Amino acid sequence: MKHTPNFSHRRALLLHRPDSNTDRLVRQLKLLGLLVEIAWQPLTEAALPDIVLVDADQGWDGLLPWKSGEEAPCPVVALLGTEAPSRIAWALERGAGAILAKPVNTSAVFPALVLAHARHEERLEMRERLRHLEERVRLRPVVHAAIRLLMQKRGMSEDEAFAALRTAAMKQRQTVEAIAVAIAAGTFSLPEAG
Amino acid sequence: MRKAHRIGILYSTSGPYAAIGRDCRDAAEFAIAQYGAVMPGLVEPVHVDPGASLKGYVEGAITMLRDRGCRHIIGTVTSAARKEIIPVVEKHDGLLWYTCPYEGFEANPNVIYTGACPNQHLLPLFDYLLPRFGTRPYLAGANYVWGWEMNRLARELINAAGGEIAGERYLPLEETSVDLLIADIERERPDFILNNLIGPASYAFLEAMHALARRDPAFAPERCPVVSCDLTECELDHLPGDVAVGQMSAACYFDGMAGSEDAALRGEVVRAFGSGRRISSIFAATYAAAALCIEAIHAIGDDEPRAVRQHLYSTTSQTVLGPLRIDAATNHAALPFHLGRINRTGGFDVIASRPAISADPYLAGQRSAARPRLRIVS
Repeated sequence: MKHTPNFSHRRALLLHRPDSNTDRLVRQLKLLGLLVEIAWQPLTEAALPDIVLVDADQGWDGLLPWKSGEEAPCPVVALLGTEAPSRIAWALERGAGAILAKPVNTSAVFPALVLAHARHEERLEMRERLRHLEERVRLRPVVHAAIRLLMQKRGMSEDEAFAALRTAAMKQRQTVEAIAVAIAAGTFSLPEAG
Repeated sequence: MRKAHRIGILYSTSGPYAAIGRDCRDAAEFAIAQYGAVMPGLVEPVHVDPGASLKGYVEGAITMLRDRGCRHIIGTVTSAARKEIIPVVEKHDGLLWYTCPYEGFEANPNVIYTGACPNQHLLPLFDYLLPRFGTRPYLAGANYVWGWEMNRLARELINAAGGEIAGERYLPLEETSVDLLIADIERERPDFILNNLIGPASYAFLEAMHALARRDPAFAPERCPVVSCDLTECELDHLPGDVAVGQMSAACYFDGMAGSEDAALRGEVVRAFGSGRRISSIFAATYAAAALCIEAIHAIGDDEPRAVRQHLYSTTSQTVLGPLRIDAATNHAALPFHLGRINRTGGFDVIASRPAISADPYLAGQRSAARPRLRIVS
């Protein structure tokens, strides 16, 4: 771990009825530097904190502003006393990146935050990568069109045309797809082979 | 007359931490005996030597809390032992007094910490070292959480300072063969060495560094010092001759420090343990913990842990470590930082100091708070 995880001045929302668990949890969150709010009513999108800790024993569907199975907009830690699979499933579907068992063990709080935070970052990264790949898949036909164009105009083989596209993309520091779009549109032409 | 309140003393006097365990046990016993002379019948010790086994610690803690009527335990040197008995202490709602420097990342409501965590030892140590020796250290550590976490943190500090790590190597806890480590250091030629080795491995390493410096003066302590955050007077006796002279250590206390108000304590320690005995930071922190515990029990007339904690939070006590305050948020003591250089008489010369630093065990405030500057005392 390159950087010590730091949560100071982050806003934590504890969606749980106040009890001895939340007392312990609030103490621990505060000493980690978090600004802690505790509530037991539906969270609105506008009031989204930096991290949510939610009671997965009692939590109902309307408690969180994102839908079941939808990507959570912030890291989520589930507080769980029961071992009932239905409640574990609820936590998972709500995007929990970590589970804190009840009664809360103070030494489990920091690791749970770090884990939930890392999971959330990882999901954001994956989503971005997926978006990128989808874009490339979407532009596949344009790449094919550009390759056909190069084969016709320059008398290249398919492999040569693709290699030329890739070299141009590297030189221009663009994706193969972006160069293909430019070639197909006639706004970019490959330098003559020399 | 009511029965005396019992305080458990849980230290192992064998294993790689034996020297530290003995120093801690001596300090706790000594404090209880001293207070016993002025507050007779208030407290009495319950001893268990867990024999360097984690199972021994757990059984010892259970015996003390369940069978012997203790509500307070002064004990454990390693984080492994502390983590092992915390569930037992929590179950019986007791209070553990932990008195050794450690790697931080803990703040348990059932533990009072009078040992320093990294913002009280490693961070100010690096503040001192980096401008003077450079930002290319070698990290040596025991294959154990202390070595791993201290070195991880050191790496983070070095990266932030734009430096680089010359090398990093770990030795098993009981390993005393340090040839490969020394060869690596000789090859890499670091600016300084952070020594997170433990006990006999650390002693063997310091001895080998001494031999290396005789071969190549570039490795002499004044040019490439070996620094640690847990080497104290209680371990210097285990080092032959002057092998560690000139090396440095960070601590919240050094024996015979100028300005310390421990002359009376010093006399008592000499009377109890002989004239060669030095008061290490570990002895001082354990003595201070025992004193805080006994004074709190005396003040409230009971040993109920919740009441003892509340008393601690509201009091600044005069201790061997200076005025000591326990932070209600973290249960840690605010501790001064001193940097000592090992001298030829088996002790340390203090070369830099900083007044009491509040503990920040999770380093939550490090990025927002400006660091105070170090005051050089000599």
